[in-house]
Amino acid sequence: MFNYLKKPWVLAILVVVIAISAFFIIPVEKRQYGLSETAMTTDYTGLLPEKIETIHEANNREQLVSIVRQANQDGKKISIAGVQHSQGGHTYYKDGIVIDMKPFNKILNVDQKKKTVTVEAGALISDIQQAVTKKGLALKVSQSLPIFSVGGSLSVNGHGRDIRNGSMASTVQKMTVITPTGTLKTLTKKANQQEMSYYLGGYGLFGIIVDVTLSLTDNEVYAYEPEEVAVSSYETYLKNVLADDSIAMHYARLSVDPEHFLNEMYVMNYKKTGRVAQNAALKEETQIRLSKLGLDLGRQGGKAETLFWNMQKDLFLKKTGKTITRNNAMRSESTFMEYTKKGSVEVLQEFFIPIDAYEEFVAHLKTWLPKDDQHDEVKLHNITLRIVSKDESTQLNYAREPMIAFVLLIQHPSSETGINQAKTYIQKWTDTALAHNGTYYLPYYPYQTTEQFKAAYPQAKHVLDYKLEQDPNEVFVNHFYDNYLQKVAN
Amino acid sequence: MRFLPLIVTVGNALVFPYYIIWLKNVTLTFSLFAWMFALHSFAAALGYQLCVKKSTKSIHWIYAMYALCFIFVGLSSFWTFDYTYATVAVQIVLGFTQGYFRAWHVHQLFYTLHAVSNYLLVGFAMLGLSFIHIVTPQFILFVFGCLLFITFLYATIHHIIRTKKKLAR
Repeated sequence: MFNYLKKPWVLAILVVVIAISAFFIIPVEKRQYGLSETAMTTDYTGLLPEKIETIHEANNREQLVSIVRQANQDGKKISIAGVQHSQGGHTYYKDGIVIDMKPFNKILNVDQKKKTVTVEAGALISDIQQAVTKKGLALKVSQSLPIFSVGGSLSVNGHGRDIRNGSMASTVQKMTVITPTGTLKTLTKKANQQEMSYYLGGYGLFGIIVDVTLSLTDNEVYAYEPEEVAVSSYETYLKNVLADDSIAMHYARLSVDPEHFLNEMYVMNYKKTGRVAQNAALKEETQIRLSKLGLDLGRQGGKAETLFWNMQKDLFLKKTGKTITRNNAMRSESTFMEYTKKGSVEVLQEFFIPIDAYEEFVAHLKTWLPKDDQHDEVKLHNITLRIVSKDESTQLNYAREPMIAFVLLIQHPSSETGINQAKTYIQKWTDTALAHNGTYYLPYYPYQTTEQFKAAYPQAKHVLDYKLEQDPNEVFVNHFYDNYLQKVAN
Repeated sequence: MRFLPLIVTVGNALVFPYYIIWLKNVTLTFSLFAWMFALHSFAAALGYQLCVKKSTKSIHWIYAMYALCFIFVGLSSFWTFDYTYATVAVQIVLGFTQGYFRAWHVHQLFYTLHAVSNYLLVGFAMLGLSFIHIVTPQFILFVFGCLLFITFLYATIHHIIRTKKKLAR
């Protein structure tokens, strides 16, 4: 047997088999981030490490009220953290107290008749999905990934693939909050919409969201309808999609590979089948390594990125006719996207552009964006397009009319020089967006200037004034407050 | 010429700890680290068997393969692509090369002399390297790669001259 193994052709086969297997055991990395009292605290990107003083795990309402009142008395600062997927230090502050909401995660009630769910703010979207799918229900709006906490999603006013029901904040019927001075309050959409609009999309600066009641809808079954669309006709195409009530969800991808740069796109429509899934199973992440292998191929840039784009497009177009439940459509995979290369980081940016300005915006981007960024320090890996309806539920509102969200995945070095290069690049994106009456999203690293923030959010000064009125001791603070909101005072 | 193999054996032993540090960083988990070693070993066995079968006389191209591997690893921090996948290829080439070289080396008359010199040189050189703290493992691997490339050029030129002389006779 052993002699047989020594034959060169047997050894050659062994080498090939082990080499192929090694490709598949290349680990899916996990970013090291989170809260710590002894080491530096960071959020998902790790770009803003900070030393905090204390972490309080949220247990009950009385404890939370007591922490807030004590902080007011002692002149301490409080930040609120969920799963910390925001990327700009929104969940901690230098020498401050962090309230970790993750343990505060009970599903309090699912009302099948009224189609609502009441949950504690630390619960994950996936926890809600598990509770409501058994009753044939699904969230009315949620991000497309189920890994975020409810409190976090509402504080950043998350949005997803749904094109009919606005952002997540607009589905809040009732919420319990703790004000910056330590008063437990219940707010309802009917009676307190104005007050709620500061907590929702308020980035944790107006107090603690304790629990919320969210609207649900039927866990409908949708048929995938992928299609390749010409970039120049997307505006018209999208208007037809919005006019077609049988389409419940929609998103698109725009090419960023050198060969088709901003010249190709495909869309995915989720068409109603008229069926509702009762107690349908939730999908789990599968083929993570294979997906990661594909994404890593795209990350190489150049021809590999083109190959990845073509493969991805073919895979999507092959989904035609297959079906998916609403819960599962709001439950995309995310583990394969992990990226932990030393000295480099992948970050998100989002720009919201009015639907009618889409073509002009893309044409404007083409005038300055490099077609091939393989050898650049700042690389654009992906553009996903989402649709957000006009938002009237939040003060720091990013969609003053129906908008197309350009969700960008950008890689850049984590060195100071690399961050500065990314700043220049992202500020140019922001200027382009602002030139077309666009806005940008705020849960990310503060690459933008104060002037750009003021231009995108003219209501910011009013929001700051209200904040100082409600929180005169400035107890609820975070890096977002320092880097953006506080700066509009001048 | 007969001392060139000594550069390979001593150099390999010297850079081995640095290569291990690099490999551990790249592979992220012990499982993958171990699989990479398995791959190296099987490739070495294949290289050994092929060399024995061919009873090769000239191995100057082996120096080039070695050099490419170490230069690649030495420059890895500059690559824009994710070199975890490329490491699979490096392990195969390096394993194959080491097996092939060893099969050739043990059949040379000067092997016994080299073996003793190898141990002595590695011992002294390691002591010397212990005083160097300001360079990265990649830098040392890169320097060794360059040295091997020079060795390859020297061996190739030597091989060409010798072949021409033989033909002239």
